Amino acid sequence: MTKKRKALSFIGRNWALLFLILMLMLFSILGKNFFGLRNFSNILLAVTTLLLLASGETFVIISGGIDLSIGFVMGFVCVTSAIIMRDLHAAGFPQAVSIMAGSSIGILLGLIPGFINGVLITKLRVPPFIATLGMWGIANGLAWRLCEGFPIAFLPPKARDIGMAYIAYYSPKKGFSLFDRPVLTERADILNLMKIIPLPVLLIAILLVIFAFILSKRKFGQHTYAIGGKVDAAIRAGVNVPWHLIKVYVISSFFAACAGVLLVFKLNMGIHTQYTSSYELFAIAAVVIGGASLMGGKGSIWGTVIGVLLIGTLNNGLMMMGLPIFYRYIAIGCILIVAVLIDQLFPELVYKE
Amino acid sequence: MMDNKNLRKILIGIAGRWTLIFLALEIIFFSIFGINYFSLKNLQNILLASTTVLLLATGETFVIVTGGIDLSVGFMVGFSGVICAKVMVTLQAAGASQAVAISSGILAALLLGLLPGLVNGLLVAKLRVPPFIATFGMLGIAYGFAEIICNNVPIMGLPTSVGSIGHGYLIYWLPGKIFAFLQKPENLTRLELQNLVSIIPNVTVITAIVIGIFAFILARTKFGQHTYAIGGSMDAAERAGINVKRHLIKVYMISSFFASLAGVTYVLRFITGRAPAGSARLLDAVVAVVIGGASLYGGTGTILGTVIGALIIGVLEIGLVNLGIPTYNLYIAVGCILIFAVLVDQFFPELVRKE
Repeated sequence: MTKKRKALSFIGRNWALLFLILMLMLFSILGKNFFGLRNFSNILLAVTTLLLLASGETFVIISGGIDLSIGFVMGFVCVTSAIIMRDLHAAGFPQAVSIMAGSSIGILLGLIPGFINGVLITKLRVPPFIATLGMWGIANGLAWRLCEGFPIAFLPPKARDIGMAYIAYYSPKKGFSLFDRPVLTERADILNLMKIIPLPVLLIAILLVIFAFILSKRKFGQHTYAIGGKVDAAIRAGVNVPWHLIKVYVISSFFAACAGVLLVFKLNMGIHTQYTSSYELFAIAAVVIGGASLMGGKGSIWGTVIGVLLIGTLNNGLMMMGLPIFYRYIAIGCILIVAVLIDQLFPELVYKE
Repeated sequence: MMDNKNLRKILIGIAGRWTLIFLALEIIFFSIFGINYFSLKNLQNILLASTTVLLLATGETFVIVTGGIDLSVGFMVGFSGVICAKVMVTLQAAGASQAVAISSGILAALLLGLLPGLVNGLLVAKLRVPPFIATFGMLGIAYGFAEIICNNVPIMGLPTSVGSIGHGYLIYWLPGKIFAFLQKPENLTRLELQNLVSIIPNVTVITAIVIGIFAFILARTKFGQHTYAIGGSMDAAERAGINVKRHLIKVYMISSFFASLAGVTYVLRFITGRAPAGSARLLDAVVAVVIGGASLYGGTGTILGTVIGALIIGVLEIGLVNLGIPTYNLYIAVGCILIFAVLVDQFFPELVRKE
């Protein structure tokens, strides 16, 4: 193989990453205050929700399905765990207890929609698009019903502290400190305080590393790819396909539930997902930009992370340049189509070496 | 034995028409428990409220019958609506007469509204982008452009006649005195106004005519047959000599046309152009098509079924409002009906299909 071909192939496979780097450079030059620790932290913090949703969706898409319910499962869990936290807090339980109970019960409840999706799809042979679309409506309605359309407030104040915490702080005056935000009184000192890596980002990074390992290195992951590649072959190879698919949909739901709990920490509020926010569509876009195919059998967590970062950087960069927010819809739409076109038009570049 | 066969026939008849029966039951239920539910006025309101879903779902039916999906239709409503309103406002400001402004606004919206469909079709047919992705990309692009055109604020100040078209009725009837077409009688006393019966909204007339034409096209013409053939098996259709690519482009343009028409009717009804106008209706439209008996794998589905599906949602929506039940229950109900619809299809294929 010639050198030129190799280079082209490299570009074909890593265009999303290259595009991300290019965009980062472009915005750093054009945007005001774009290049800086604070803004990069903001980008990461802003994409945490999408990152979780898209990672769960990656499993489903690799298996050849689709999960449209994640956005509203997130809202449902966000509302339920906030209600539990609020009520326990009001009943006089210690903050730690109410927060732990709220988040763990929220995540457990969040597994149910995924389980139902999985059963509908595998045992009752409902197409994934329909089953999860039905769940989309049901989860949306339930969340709305629970919160009556209003935000759930009066949560334990510690929840907010966790959501806004950073791993390390550095202040020129007080030096370096882990997790503990130094108490500063002067305005200049507060402005100069360096905050390094938001805590939610660290937690998500750990979660993602675990699941990326499961997907790429464990039998479970191999079976997921096998089912997406060819169901018949997977069955003949002895994979228990229905059971495996149920697990995949539960994983997707689990990630959505984690996103819901994270939202509670980030906002210190429980809110139901807006009808038009289209989280599921942006998550799917991120997964596809990251190199997955909707036909199944392709994709990786790493690719999805790049896809999410691409969307997040674009949002942030356009904002920092002072452009109205709706340009991002056009940009993401175009990138999405280009992503698939590259895949379609130059398959030999992307797959073969 | 004979009885058994008859029973089976009846059962098959019921299962095959379960959507129609479900719709009838819904109407009966709400008529009994609702206030003034079963009245000419309310039934017309249901039709009016279902306009967007009816139109979007009819266009979507064509796409789903070919085995594709069009996610862009929701935001296309806003896109064409904003264009329509913008052209009207601009022409009016330039001093054009109301008739000119309105007709050119509608024409511009319908023509420009074909463009996203054309692009979708080209992407899907020529460049082999999966429909889900191509139309989802178009969703973002259409929404972005709509917001740019209207500058993120609803477009107001449309010609006054827009409202009289959108809120007008085909027939006005004052028992014993007046019987007028299209023109709302003027100089009526308060009592007369209360007794005035307005029959069939203009918007519903437009909707019904267009849906009727396309129902005929899908069911009776060669174009429709080819659409089913492509959905059944693309390879077979190609071997049978159908120009599949051209046909698919046309199908996506039909879907786009219906979305634009929905945008125009939105402007007529609400006398404003909003970018996110129909976004919430996208999934309702897909749901209506699936309840109506279409399969997402392509090859099945009818316009009549889709219309019934859309009405099931519309009747439920207005019914819940009538009973004073918060609307979020609608989402739960629609989700359950959707899954139920597919389960009926899965478990009683012989009941639904044969006969």
